[in-house]
Amino acid sequence: MILEGETLIPANRRIVWKALNDPEMLRACIPGCKSLDRQSDTDFTASVRAAIGPISATFGAKITLSEIEPDRGYTISGEGKGGAAGFARGKARVDLEDETGGTRLRYNADVNVGGKLAQVGSRLIQGTAKKLSEEFFGCLSEKLSGASAPDKAAPPSAPAVAPGRWLVWGALAIVVVIVLGWWIAG
Amino acid sequence: MKAIEDFTLIGKTVLRREDSYLMRGKAQFLDDLPEPKGLIHLAFVLSPYACADILSVDASAAKALPGVIDVLTGKDLVGDIKTFAPVIEIEGYRDVRRPVVAVDRVNFVGEYVAVILAESPYVAQDALDLVEVDYDPLPAVAGIEEAEAAGAPVIHSHLGDNHIFRAAFETEDFDARFAEGDLVLEEEFRNGKTAGGMIEPRGCMAWPDPVATNFTLWTPTQIPHIVRTAIADHLDIPESVLRVVAPAVGGGFGTKAHVFPDELIVVALARRYGRAVKWVQDRRESLLTNMHARGHILHIKVSVKQDGTLCGVYLNLKTNCGAYPNHPYSPTLEATGCARMLPGPYRFQTYRYDVSSLITNTCPTGAKRGTGQPSAFLAIEGMMDRIGRRLGIDPAEVRRRNTVRPEEFPYVNVVGVRYDTGSYLPSLERGLEMIGYDAFRAAQPKDRLVNGKYRGIGICNYTEVSGTGAPGWRVRGFAKMPGFDSSRVVVEPDGKITVYVSQADAGQGHYTTFAQIAADRLGVACEDVTVVEGDTSKTPYGTGTFASRGSVVGGGTVIRCSEKVGVKIRRIAGYMLDADPERLVLKDGRVADPEDAGRSLSLREVAETAYSMNNLGLPQGEEHGLEATDYYDPPMVTMANGTHVVQVAVDPEDGRVEIERYAVVHDCGRVINPRIVEGQVHGATVQGIGEALMEEIVYDADGQHLNANLLDYLMPTAMDVPELELDHIETPSIDTVGGIKGAAEGGLTGAVPAIANAVGDALSGLGVNITRVPLRPSSVFEQIRRACTEKEGRA
Repeated sequence: MILEGETLIPANRRIVWKALNDPEMLRACIPGCKSLDRQSDTDFTASVRAAIGPISATFGAKITLSEIEPDRGYTISGEGKGGAAGFARGKARVDLEDETGGTRLRYNADVNVGGKLAQVGSRLIQGTAKKLSEEFFGCLSEKLSGASAPDKAAPPSAPAVAPGRWLVWGALAIVVVIVLGWWIAG
Repeated sequence: MKAIEDFTLIGKTVLRREDSYLMRGKAQFLDDLPEPKGLIHLAFVLSPYACADILSVDASAAKALPGVIDVLTGKDLVGDIKTFAPVIEIEGYRDVRRPVVAVDRVNFVGEYVAVILAESPYVAQDALDLVEVDYDPLPAVAGIEEAEAAGAPVIHSHLGDNHIFRAAFETEDFDARFAEGDLVLEEEFRNGKTAGGMIEPRGCMAWPDPVATNFTLWTPTQIPHIVRTAIADHLDIPESVLRVVAPAVGGGFGTKAHVFPDELIVVALARRYGRAVKWVQDRRESLLTNMHARGHILHIKVSVKQDGTLCGVYLNLKTNCGAYPNHPYSPTLEATGCARMLPGPYRFQTYRYDVSSLITNTCPTGAKRGTGQPSAFLAIEGMMDRIGRRLGIDPAEVRRRNTVRPEEFPYVNVVGVRYDTGSYLPSLERGLEMIGYDAFRAAQPKDRLVNGKYRGIGICNYTEVSGTGAPGWRVRGFAKMPGFDSSRVVVEPDGKITVYVSQADAGQGHYTTFAQIAADRLGVACEDVTVVEGDTSKTPYGTGTFASRGSVVGGGTVIRCSEKVGVKIRRIAGYMLDADPERLVLKDGRVADPEDAGRSLSLREVAETAYSMNNLGLPQGEEHGLEATDYYDPPMVTMANGTHVVQVAVDPEDGRVEIERYAVVHDCGRVINPRIVEGQVHGATVQGIGEALMEEIVYDADGQHLNANLLDYLMPTAMDVPELELDHIETPSIDTVGGIKGAAEGGLTGAVPAIANAVGDALSGLGVNITRVPLRPSSVFEQIRRACTEKEGRA
């Protein structure tokens, strides 16, 4: 399943890049994230508790970064196993580009889910990805805008109902690949 | 035997006695049964991968959960249960056995990897999350073409490739005769994989006696005797120590006419632990792991004369077996079934088929209402329309010219199946008349566009295999399928009747129809007859309830058995009345001598003599008791027939197909209970509407099952069902007892091709070629769009 999108982030490219590589930031903002640890420059492990409807599970994930171009983008590959809930694995390319008002982030993810996730959740993935990413990036945007002043004047803060427009899409890719699928477990 | 003309209750609508408890929610389904003390509840760890090596199973956390008794893997069960496989003896079939719980390789999503034993079902479910299985995923193949492609991963290495079954048939001088036609038309048809879709998921419960040497298995099965034989065989226990009981069954549709690994497992665990063991699946497991059906590719070539008559037919059929053969039929069921049933009501005598079944990394496929027939008629009836379009002959007329004529019965078809009687042409004509076919055609514009929708009409003229006897199973390779069914009819000491039948009701109304038959034959009221079935300890051995056998074989044996008891009743009564037993008549609960109007005995009086409850003795040489047992092996097959004619409107804006008119003409020979037959026709037709327009199990290329839930696996609801206009034609069989033919599957068999043909007709003006079901709005819309684009391109 291909998931793709883009958005404008009201922060400069260097700050966005830094956030995308900050385990602390990711841990704080990925919904249900119990741990996220950097094992090496390019490898992370994570543990995420996810629940949808009557089903909840803790997913153990391995994430690898490759094709890294500092401040420009990277490719994220990952696999998460949720025991009885199934698994998600995939790859996402994330690219950052300067644009008036901040940084344009584009992502293109190819996600495969299996087991119960696929059996009962296939058709919900797109919608749930959107919902979850809004939650994740709303959090991240808030932290980013508090932690740094963008080069240019920040646009008015987004209404709480639509934080998705402020998404930090690099991290979205991680979420898409590893976490979003798990949310489908219901 | 009495002449069928003097049937009194057979042929009458008697209200179903089952409905009084089914409709009030009083029926005892498996999960309603009282639970024995010390019951162990099971849950299965299911494979999330379509193909993977199992590297390790870590159940330590699950075992540590309070309430978990044990967690067993496939390795732990190897000594308890032999590898599981049906017994199939036919050329071209290759044996594939499976462990009931995977040992070191999983081959489809949903395959059992471990079993949790717990003190409660909730704990068992919780423990599922704690079992950590380490898999090494391998490339999987989900589709037929992928499975047979060069270089495809071989799923069962001992086969060398993914073929489990191949068969071929060819009439004499096929090539020469096929070449006699003026033109050859060919087409490839496909249908989606579907599920039986019964409302009650499966489950089972085994209960050992206190010393754990005898076991009772409750399982909602259509084939209790075959289940018992299979379990005894695979667990190496005597059949005599196992009793299999089918409680109330919430729909079977063929899915519950298989033996499943879990049925073996609960008995094996009851033996191992000396405790009762129960397992009930949920809806997701039901759609994921119960047998699937269909998923066929049919390549058909027909050779025809200019007048539309068939010179010969060639069929190349490929079926998707799934990861393992089903028990007891194996994939030969659908493969040989479809190929052998394809000739249908038609007269051609030149035929060749090549069939093959492919192993794939998907859930095993097996029996479902209609078996190979909806596929067979999708192909042959689809060709009838194409012949008509190509030659400019009305498709109804093409059928007329090819159909077996009334004077040709009994007719032996091209594969050697005897059609003893039938109403093939009358049923076609009646169906056309009911729907106003000629007027519709006359008013139909060439582009089929009427008031913004494309409107078309479709026909399916079908035969329906029913009541298959032993020879019919042997010829298809079912080495251990008995074919017969049996009954025991007992006149109790009070003169009331108990009928024990080897079948197992799954909602068909056996408790009413078999009572009707016995009451009719013994001259008593229906209310005086109790029917008992679905219990191997109470009924004699038999095949069970599937493939439209209930009325033909079950009904046949109850007729025969009742008449056997009738002979003894008359013998004893004759002695008591000092009359010739031959002339005594059983009527109104009495045995009367018509030549001496005043003299008669109640059945109770005769029974009291038989059971030595009075001072009258028995005639010399007569045994006590008043009962008989009968085993009835019916003819090879008995062919019912019918015609569906459907008018549809296709909305080009959204691709939705609306059924505007639906006519069914149905001929199942002697009707036992018209209301019940109508129910069967309605139910099967609705299931056919599902297969034609919405139902499909979807696997992705990796073998992931994408719709194991009823939001995504769409089944027809009341909102999707048009008014069905029904008519019966009654052409009794001359080969079966009572003239009965089966009635359970024709509705589905007729519906799928008729609807596909109606949509094909509606869209023929656009040049859309309908070759695949289900015809969901998205696919119909896409085909319309593509046809319009091509048209514009040409313009």
